Amino acid sequence: MDITANVNQQLEIQESKIENRKSKITKGAALIVGGGIGGMQAALDLGDSGFKVHMVQRDSSIGGTMVMLDKTFPTGDCSMCMISPKMVELGRHANIDVHTLAEVVSVEGEPGNYHVKIRQAPRFVDPDKCTGCGICEKKCPKLVTSVFEQGLTTRKAIYSLFAQAVPNTRVIDKDNCLFFQRGRCRACEKFCTSKAINFDDTEKNYELHVGAIILSPGLARYNPIKRQELGFGRFKNVITSLQFERILSASGPYMGTIKRPLDEKHPVKVAWIQCVGSRDPHRANPWCSSVCCMYATKQAVIAKEHDNHIHPTIFYMDMRAFGKDFDKYVDRAKNQYGVRYIRSMVSSVHEQARTGNLILRYSLENGQFMDEIFDMVILSIGFEPHEDVKAFAEQFGIELNTHGFAKTEQFTPIETSQPGIFVTGTFQGPKDIPETVTQGSAVAGKTMSMLSSARGTEVSVKPLPPETDVSGQEARIGVFVCHCGINIAQTVHIDQVVSAAKEMKNVVHAENMLYACAQDGQEKIKQIVKEKNLNRVIVASCTPRTHQPLFQETIRDAGLNKYLFELADIREQCSWCHMGQNEKATEKAIKIVNMVIAKARYFEPVHTASFNVTPSALVIGGGIAGMTAALSIADQGFSVHLVEKEKQLGGLVNKLYRTLDQSDVQSFLEKTIDAVEHHPKISVYKGVEVKKTDGFVGNFKTQLSNQTDIDHGVIVIAVGGEEYKPGEFSYGKHNRIIVQRELEKRLEKTAPESGAHYVMIQCVGSREESFNYCSRVCCQDAIKNAIMIKEKSPDAHVTILYRDIRTYGLREDYYKKARDLGVRFIRFEVDKKPEIDIESAKPKLKLFDYMLNREIEMTADYVVLSTGLRPHPSMEKISKLYKLTRNLDGFFLEAHVKLRPVDFPFEGVFLCGLAHAPKNLDETISQALAASGRAGVVLSHDKLSASGIISKHNKQICMSCLSCVRICPFDSPYIDETGKVCHNEVKCMGCGLCAAICPAKAFQVNNFKDDQILAMIDACAGLN
Amino acid sequence: MEEPKKIPRDWEPDILAFACHYCAFAAADLAGVMRLSYAPNVKIIRLPCTGKLDYIYVLRAFEQGVDGVFCAG
Repeated sequence: MDITANVNQQLEIQESKIENRKSKITKGAALIVGGGIGGMQAALDLGDSGFKVHMVQRDSSIGGTMVMLDKTFPTGDCSMCMISPKMVELGRHANIDVHTLAEVVSVEGEPGNYHVKIRQAPRFVDPDKCTGCGICEKKCPKLVTSVFEQGLTTRKAIYSLFAQAVPNTRVIDKDNCLFFQRGRCRACEKFCTSKAINFDDTEKNYELHVGAIILSPGLARYNPIKRQELGFGRFKNVITSLQFERILSASGPYMGTIKRPLDEKHPVKVAWIQCVGSRDPHRANPWCSSVCCMYATKQAVIAKEHDNHIHPTIFYMDMRAFGKDFDKYVDRAKNQYGVRYIRSMVSSVHEQARTGNLILRYSLENGQFMDEIFDMVILSIGFEPHEDVKAFAEQFGIELNTHGFAKTEQFTPIETSQPGIFVTGTFQGPKDIPETVTQGSAVAGKTMSMLSSARGTEVSVKPLPPETDVSGQEARIGVFVCHCGINIAQTVHIDQVVSAAKEMKNVVHAENMLYACAQDGQEKIKQIVKEKNLNRVIVASCTPRTHQPLFQETIRDAGLNKYLFELADIREQCSWCHMGQNEKATEKAIKIVNMVIAKARYFEPVHTASFNVTPSALVIGGGIAGMTAALSIADQGFSVHLVEKEKQLGGLVNKLYRTLDQSDVQSFLEKTIDAVEHHPKISVYKGVEVKKTDGFVGNFKTQLSNQTDIDHGVIVIAVGGEEYKPGEFSYGKHNRIIVQRELEKRLEKTAPESGAHYVMIQCVGSREESFNYCSRVCCQDAIKNAIMIKEKSPDAHVTILYRDIRTYGLREDYYKKARDLGVRFIRFEVDKKPEIDIESAKPKLKLFDYMLNREIEMTADYVVLSTGLRPHPSMEKISKLYKLTRNLDGFFLEAHVKLRPVDFPFEGVFLCGLAHAPKNLDETISQALAASGRAGVVLSHDKLSASGIISKHNKQICMSCLSCVRICPFDSPYIDETGKVCHNEVKCMGCGLCAAICPAKAFQVNNFKDDQILAMIDACAGLN
Repeated sequence: MEEPKKIPRDWEPDILAFACHYCAFAAADLAGVMRLSYAPNVKIIRLPCTGKLDYIYVLRAFEQGVDGVFCAG
């Protein structure tokens, strides 16, 4: 009674708090703690949809763990190439403030209205003055072990975390700086021409006022020095997987060549030892780190690609390739790259005298001991919470689970125990990059719902002067050549470049500048534009990738169209790579500038069209994914049309009773359906399908099978999946052979039979041709039901026949629990499957036991098949209707498997749930929220404008040969009602494939037009 | 047929590179950031995607006397 009263009281307090909140302030700003990829995604989504974002990051740069990685699985994409553009975008986003070297001191307030005290450590370098030239770092005499490079090499006492750091301002490491420690040196200050070094910089304390808090602090990594038998710290050729990641990296300690640390020899036999620090409750952490099986496989593959002589071997317990297309990747590693997988834990590593090679002792499954020599050993270290996680949690008043991760519930996977404080990424549980990015968008979606009334209140739009009309004018080009301190000037003779530019036709002004990007430089450019009536501006300095937008803004402030600007890169692509060759570098710089001048003569102003956005969403599929997305979008204040082809909402979840942690699925489903059906912003269409569709982002038109016409701005595809109906193991021929779902239903209603023997068979219809993928949910399903049986009838027996147990992440706890309860696990191989005999009343099973090294037999009271998941049959139709690609297994293919996990290549169309790939309920909910966050980014705009760099179509000269229609990956050229080719510029991404293939040259890409490129080629060849 | 010209000893080719804005151009930047040294006789034209490379560009480059064309993306 007391407890209930207490709970009721708490509920009342909470409700009254919520009531209070409605009358109180809601700030349209969010605080994000942690600048890894999860936090970055949340920041970009919120920043792009009218919220102010404060990102607080402990390091001197944003980027987190992902920037340390070389490549990513399963696509082998370069990690830095993917994250670097996002970092640049975030760093210069008008709505995002990045607070580096900062941490939260205290938090006060309530959802919608928090006061957060921040402490920012001094950087000792003024970011407003610093140009990122790096001369300070070069001149600094003090070498310090580089933590970023995992101790494999050194950095200076004034340094940048990594080459592509954002912000690109160095930081002084006070503990190692000679001036701070011994009172002399100041070399950096002496050589810094922009006077950016400030030894008097002090700690700053200030307060931020936000409406929501997002925690994405990420995780630390297990220190393998604790596992002495593996030799880390004792033998130099035993390294961690993160060290190997740096070794593989082209910007790492060996510039991408594979060497071992002891003698820098190229290793041949390389071993990976899995689960170091994971799945080990006695000496390390009990959970599975989720990513190590895959990253070890990736490292083995990439190592082999770098150096074909390498023979990789991976020692593992269970191969946990549970994600989308992961099993195929492991198969490729085995079959194409010759990676050897040995199912065994290594018991000891010894160093061989003189050679530095390592002797690994391990036992085969049948008990036979082996000693094998390797040249190098890589320990696949797992994740663990940061050391100060308790203090961190207390600061925000959130609860942690028993392992020190943020406590979340199955049905609210991104909400902490404090309303208004959300969590994303590995702090919620070990996970890989796409799942972290998904949760990033998911917290953004949640925040948008919570702060919807305050959207747009904290961001301001800068007033711009009217644009000068330069059409028909002859080019009047201004060229500004930047010294970049001595970065360019020490290699390139700036005065020669300036005088060469002056000689060029149409150049009416050329001058040199110490720092073009500094405030005074920009003001000077604006002044000259007006004074000399310039209509094209060129700055010869650094790369357009980071600095073009800055200068474009400058000339726009001076009244010029921003596309009348171009950068000539004479730093990254000239002075920095031709040091000591001053004459030749100067010659090259002159040529680069001439090429850009030649291009600029043909520049024309670009005006981007803008169009209205219909502020409503169409959600296809009324399962948990579709309903969650619909609710979240509706809570943001947009109307939602939810279309379900069955007569009943709920999809597959209708058959689900419990989650792994015993949460009640049916009551959750009931509540969700109730919320959807009663939400004023949601219209539900049951027993209805999509019939026709047309349009593009912001402006879709859809007709349903009941003849309803809907206008909407975005589409969320949540068509779900279905369960495999098995034909194998005599299913349907014996009443004691059932599937997990049937067992689950029975267990919900009646207790399991006392003394009965339940034999479960895993991977039925998964992980073999023609459905060679892991269905991800079946291991947990089996363990969930096994635990339920053992808890309800301890004398019942459960045997699980498996190939690999894939209880990844914190789900490992339940695997352990099942074992502790006495559930037996027997492994089988795909080519030696259990045989079933159904002649008698109880089925008999025969299989080979690898531990006993012989065949065994058992009688089962029930044989329970763990059947996999399949793409929904309606996906074929949907994929044709919306022209969406699917992977080999029939699931929809997202825009980018790592960084755009819920987007399609077509803007305005989003993906969530089983339609993407098999996944668990909590993951489906995260993904649905992510889709709502991404949808919110589009819907929050009254108008969207097309990009400036797009292909323009000239209908006058087009012959409608359809080459463009065939080649365009985005479907932007189309055939109009007159049968002629037309171009939808909104869909165009500006890649220029159409322009290259068009025989009539009817397509031209803005700022990359043929006349512009040809002029550059001519200028390069010396003709002007 | 025209006789191929004799190549002088100290001759260095003039190379024109076409690079995708998103990858190869970024890689050229990284080479600079890492202060990797290479011969200055290569100039880069940035394209939005190497799919934009028109055969006309390659022909024009050779026609105008460029010795080699390098396309990366």
